[in-house]
Amino acid sequence: MRAAWLLLLCAASAQAAQPLPQAEAAVWLQKMADASRRMTYEGVFVMRQGDTMQTLSISNRPAGQGNDSRLVALDGNLREVRCSQTGAVTLVTDGSQVRTEKRLNSRHFPDLLPANPAALTNWYEVRLGEMARVAGLDCRNVEIQPKDAFRWGYILCAEKDSGLPLKAVLVNAGNQPLMQYAFAEIKLATQGYAMKPPSWPVPRPMLLPVLPEPARQLESEQVVARNLPPGYTRIAAVKRQLPNMRSEVEHWVFSDGLTHISLFLSPSDKPVDTVKGESPRGMVHLMRRQVGDFQATVLGDAPWPAVETIAMGLEPR
Amino acid sequence: MNKSHEADDNLSALLDGELSDQSAQLAIRQLSGDPAARARFAEYCAVGDLLRGHHNDLPDLTRKVMAALEDEPTVLAPVRKTPQRRPLLWLAAATCAAITWGLWSAVPRQENAVPLASLQTPAHPPADVMPYLAAHQDYAQAVLTVPEMHFTRVSLSREAR
Repeated sequence: MRAAWLLLLCAASAQAAQPLPQAEAAVWLQKMADASRRMTYEGVFVMRQGDTMQTLSISNRPAGQGNDSRLVALDGNLREVRCSQTGAVTLVTDGSQVRTEKRLNSRHFPDLLPANPAALTNWYEVRLGEMARVAGLDCRNVEIQPKDAFRWGYILCAEKDSGLPLKAVLVNAGNQPLMQYAFAEIKLATQGYAMKPPSWPVPRPMLLPVLPEPARQLESEQVVARNLPPGYTRIAAVKRQLPNMRSEVEHWVFSDGLTHISLFLSPSDKPVDTVKGESPRGMVHLMRRQVGDFQATVLGDAPWPAVETIAMGLEPR
Repeated sequence: MNKSHEADDNLSALLDGELSDQSAQLAIRQLSGDPAARARFAEYCAVGDLLRGHHNDLPDLTRKVMAALEDEPTVLAPVRKTPQRRPLLWLAAATCAAITWGLWSAVPRQENAVPLASLQTPAHPPADVMPYLAAHQDYAQAVLTVPEMHFTRVSLSREAR
């Protein structure tokens, strides 16, 4: 397996900057996806989004068919995300109070690729870039570039042996960075480093606190999404109670595996203004409009055409 | 030539509030009867405002003059000044504002070239958007602060409604 991986590496470097054939691209994506879940590592990474910077510590280890991971924000309010096979929770410490909330999903750096990323090659081209060095380790840049205008691209730097992404940059169509993650320090179990037992008192597998379910299945659907951008499918549709909101809202999620767009539906008893929203650097787009008796809010870390296509394709059922 | 220089200096001194009340009265009388002098006075006002970076808020000029006057130290001792001084300054400021505002309004603005149909009006952030942005983070990226957003109200074509 190692020989095949090295052969792939050599062949790939010979045809730098050319998009990899789909099968080869799928191998690279799978390697990176598996490494971020199945490897044992702990480290500190920096996240930068516009003028905002956050430092987080992460530890990950395989557990059963999945993995246990723990993210802790090292600056600002104490925030922590714990993910296991049974689910994910967020713990926010505010003064002496600890608020615990169940999360519907647990996507986080470096685990950004879906478990089965082969289908991404239909919508993204994969190119191999230069070798680089991140957190003291050698890595190869792997560019995941969209084939159309409905998604952002990523540039990942995959550790040269394991394929673990040491750096990830979300880029727009002009290759301008929208969000960046990079390990500042990382210890990999494959380097012969015996990972210390976790500092939090959790038996294996990680036991999460029992919390009320944050969401329930939809009983009936009164809105239909007639038009989705190519490659997007609905991956979630639940009814959930959001903090500071009086009544439950419907939360649908559409994704191509790498880009995620949310739709929130809430009953509206008065006409809804059509509003367009954008974050300062254009990473997040939002559109709100009236659909039948509902106020529909579509938002995501996605280009405007993707958000607009979903929002304008909504119709009362 | 010398006379014209003298008149210009007089206008400049009027604008700077350096004239005595009597001279200021005289200068304003001359201004009202001489369109060329009025135009020069307007130019002085506009140049002064540009230098001070006040060209976007000319309507506030009188307020600023009044604020500056209020900032003057209160003199409790009896003063020799005639009571006409403040109304005269007021009059000079108001004339200056009126003339320069007229000049600025006459300048064609760039925004007027934008076709009306493409205008999007800025909108207030919808009240319930922050919980939605936070809830979306479950699927986006963990432990992130919710991004600040800018909103615009848009019009849809009839079929899209």
